[in-house]
Amino acid sequence: MIKEEQNFINLINEHQGLIHKICIMYENDTDVRNDLFQEIVLQLWKSFPSFRGEAKITTWMYRIALNTAISGFRKQTRNVKTEDLQEVHFNISDYGGDDHEESFQKLQWAIRQLSEIERAMIMMALEEVPYEDIAETIGITQNNVRVRMNRIREKLRKLMS
Amino acid sequence: MELDDLKYIWKSKEPGFHPKDESEIAQMLKGRSKSIVEKLMRNVWLELIFTFVAGLGLLVYALQMPPGALKWTTSAILILLVAYTIYYIKKILLLRRFNPAADNLRSTLETLVASLSSYLNFYKRSYTILYPIYFLLGLVFSLLERGANEFLEALSKPRTIIILLLVAGIFYVTSTWLARWWLRKLYGDHLDKLKALVNDLHS
Repeated sequence: MIKEEQNFINLINEHQGLIHKICIMYENDTDVRNDLFQEIVLQLWKSFPSFRGEAKITTWMYRIALNTAISGFRKQTRNVKTEDLQEVHFNISDYGGDDHEESFQKLQWAIRQLSEIERAMIMMALEEVPYEDIAETIGITQNNVRVRMNRIREKLRKLMS
Repeated sequence: MELDDLKYIWKSKEPGFHPKDESEIAQMLKGRSKSIVEKLMRNVWLELIFTFVAGLGLLVYALQMPPGALKWTTSAILILLVAYTIYYIKKILLLRRFNPAADNLRSTLETLVASLSSYLNFYKRSYTILYPIYFLLGLVFSLLERGANEFLEALSKPRTIIILLLVAGIFYVTSTWLARWWLRKLYGDHLDKLKALVNDLHS
């Protein structure tokens, strides 16, 4: 295995949580999610030689992963009923017990109700990505990010109440 | 609920997933991309190869033909195939330059919408403009070969007119339907989704 490939694999290994989170937020079906994971890894690999470390590695990964999840990925038809899957994955009452777990599941469910762009923005915000980088990744102004984030927060508040 | 509260909840747990090991990640690098751009590129390559092979076959056929309407029609189709080839090569070069790492989400979406729209429009134009043109060209070549008098005499017969209209209609409807079916099968409502996302960003 060449050094560059090993470096890339180490990088994915270290940050795979980020990719998994995006896959979970954008796809219901496990098989489609795995396909999306692979697609993101492929796109990152394709762009890896041009990454010169000017941006933070996670910002670079977010940019490609979100670009792939939102715009570039064409899922195969698998006849999956989204509503049913949402029931399976996010039926909060099933979790019982742990408050953190319940709140976390509720937040995941609420985020999934947002539009794809809003999902991308809130995910980055929750991961402490600065507004400047969110604006740059999405392609809107920082002012617009602030306005949209307020709307998103309000939506989430309603969804989670 | 403040953003900090949401961050606290978000960081309190990790969503359940099975981490991939190094060998799985290494295997993924050998996989085939399912991105819309890769798919578009594969289709354009296939069409380019098909156009080239069909063009070559037609050229060989045309060279062996005696002068006449059929030869002129074949030559005209060859010119069209050259135009298609240039379009496909341009499209491949454009798609190869596409890099999701270089652009933000908005630019990526706009580029994809433009690229996919032009590709689909190219097909629609081919079927709605070029087929009637080629149908008329066929008539013109027939006129040149038979001579004006014989051609007009044949064309004035109701039976000829009905047959011509029927052939043109069946050919046009079938080819248009097939093209639409094929494009819908390939790209589904992906373009509509991309356009909606761009609108969302502009709003």
